[in-house]
Amino acid sequence: MLRYLLKRLASAIVTLWLLVTIVFLIVNILPGDIARKILGPFATQESVTAYRHEYGLDLPLWRQYLSSMKNIVTLDFGSSYLQKKPVTDIIFPALVRSGKLAILAFIITIPISILAGIIAARRQDKLSDRAIVNVGLASSSIPEFVSAAVLLSIFCVHWKIGKVFANPPDGTPLLEQLQYLLMPALAMAIAYFGYLARMTRAGVISAQNSDYARTATMKGMSQRDVMRRHVLRNALAPTITVISIQIGYLFGGIIGVEKVFNYPGLGTEMLNAAKGRDIPLLQGAVLVVGLIYMLSTLAADLLIAYLNPRVRLETK
Amino acid sequence: MNLPVTPPDPSTDDAVLVPGAPSIAPAVSERKQARRENWRLIRRRPSFIIGNLIVLVWVICAIGGEHITPHDPLDFRAKVHLPPSSEFWFGTDKTGRDVLSRVMAGARDVLKIAPMAALLGVLFGVILGLLMGYLGKRFDNVMSRIVEAFLALPVVLIALLAITTLGNSSWVVLGVVATLFTPVVARTVRSAVLAERDLDYVTSAKLRGESTRFIMFREILPNVSGPIIVELTVRIGYAVFTISTLSFLGAGPPPPSPDWGAQVSEGYNSISAGIWWTTFFPAMAIASLVIAVNLIADAVQSVMEAS
Repeated sequence: MLRYLLKRLASAIVTLWLLVTIVFLIVNILPGDIARKILGPFATQESVTAYRHEYGLDLPLWRQYLSSMKNIVTLDFGSSYLQKKPVTDIIFPALVRSGKLAILAFIITIPISILAGIIAARRQDKLSDRAIVNVGLASSSIPEFVSAAVLLSIFCVHWKIGKVFANPPDGTPLLEQLQYLLMPALAMAIAYFGYLARMTRAGVISAQNSDYARTATMKGMSQRDVMRRHVLRNALAPTITVISIQIGYLFGGIIGVEKVFNYPGLGTEMLNAAKGRDIPLLQGAVLVVGLIYMLSTLAADLLIAYLNPRVRLETK
Repeated sequence: MNLPVTPPDPSTDDAVLVPGAPSIAPAVSERKQARRENWRLIRRRPSFIIGNLIVLVWVICAIGGEHITPHDPLDFRAKVHLPPSSEFWFGTDKTGRDVLSRVMAGARDVLKIAPMAALLGVLFGVILGLLMGYLGKRFDNVMSRIVEAFLALPVVLIALLAITTLGNSSWVVLGVVATLFTPVVARTVRSAVLAERDLDYVTSAKLRGESTRFIMFREILPNVSGPIIVELTVRIGYAVFTISTLSFLGAGPPPPSPDWGAQVSEGYNSISAGIWWTTFFPAMAIASLVIAVNLIADAVQSVMEAS
């Protein structure tokens, strides 16, 4: 188990390194003078040169690469070109805000979609199954910003249930924050419902038809216990994997949702950094998202191993 | 993983290659027949029919453009922000343009770029996936790592970065979306190829001394066409998804254009003032097109995977 863990960690580090390198390459391959872009078209040539010198943009590319690598290893991403603040001071508060939204979205979507998937599997090919499958297909295909905009027009404007500006004022008690965060979280929850429900359904159907489930039923075990002790443990593995992968995608989809609800989270910071070519901020944000993605897939694999003794024994 | 590929029969593939051998005819026609049978099953699926009907409506809007819209989508000057009424079914926007006309004309932008981007992404992905799966070894190892890193990137963000610096012409959007789809498609094709590469027909082609290119494109490719077709239909849906998200985030065609994503981004700020129609209708247009394409993809996928 320990060896497996170390191997996974090593490959995660390689992937993270590639991730940062890809961002660095993309930023530097794309044409255009970053200093000019940030200072604007009316800045004098001297100030552009001075800016480039100050941020090391006049160094050869490999020196820039090395220094950005050094920064990342020491977890100091430098300071933002646009906001003149240390990147870490921007990223972490934004990450906390986005995290709140993401956690709420998962709290809403995971139980509902797993339950829907189980119901669909138990009533395979009946009306309720068809309904869940098709609603799931629709919900997972709509872009997050579209469901956010529709929810905003219906619930926040027409019925006035949620808030149009999702960012609660400082010092709002946790429960009252819900009122602000519910609609944007719901927009994200809708996007994940489809994948999770369909994945759970497929997993439960294949586990239901397996020999061990049949044996358990014939032994006289109740349907409930067969489901809980045998079917779900096996069926949920693909669902858990999908959840963990979704955590990475979540931060792509969150950009649109945050924009619709004027929410100052990590998505908004990434959007502004990409538009303004604020490289340190962008690199830091992408690295943080990549790190979350790696950790969540790792956690998912461990959870699957914990739930399913067969997987656990294989990896020993 | 369960791959939707018919198990290849080595004799049939040899037969295709050796003209005049007695066993050709049934084998080739068998594959053709299976394909025709699949197509017949796909056409019968209700989700395929509904999906195509919706797409057809948008295709008509895209082709007809300003000839069939009730008002001029770009220059009609009515009162600003009129709510939906019998004259303006979807209301008017902040400069008094008819929202219905703009939504109809907006179909053109997406329908021009999305299928092309998907096709291009699948093309590159298939080539890369074939190389990774068939050549294997170090090339596969290195490429797999890079593909994995790409998958951990927020796609929309990278596209946005590229488009803001390269300019937001349709060609750039097309190229960027295709590039971002390539690794995803490559991964699917790679795993399909891995299941094929050690089968007898590949070995016998190698023993015959066929070139690597011939084996990859003429021997393996036809046998992994199932997952590739599925991937293509799924990717068209994602292309619509990605392109409209990009234009919502400000990397779409410039302002006077009636692009759906751009319309949503123009309109959502006035929602708080109670003006919901400028956002709601273009948003529903995006939703309907993406759902329609995914219904078609779903029909194709379920038939292909069952066969």
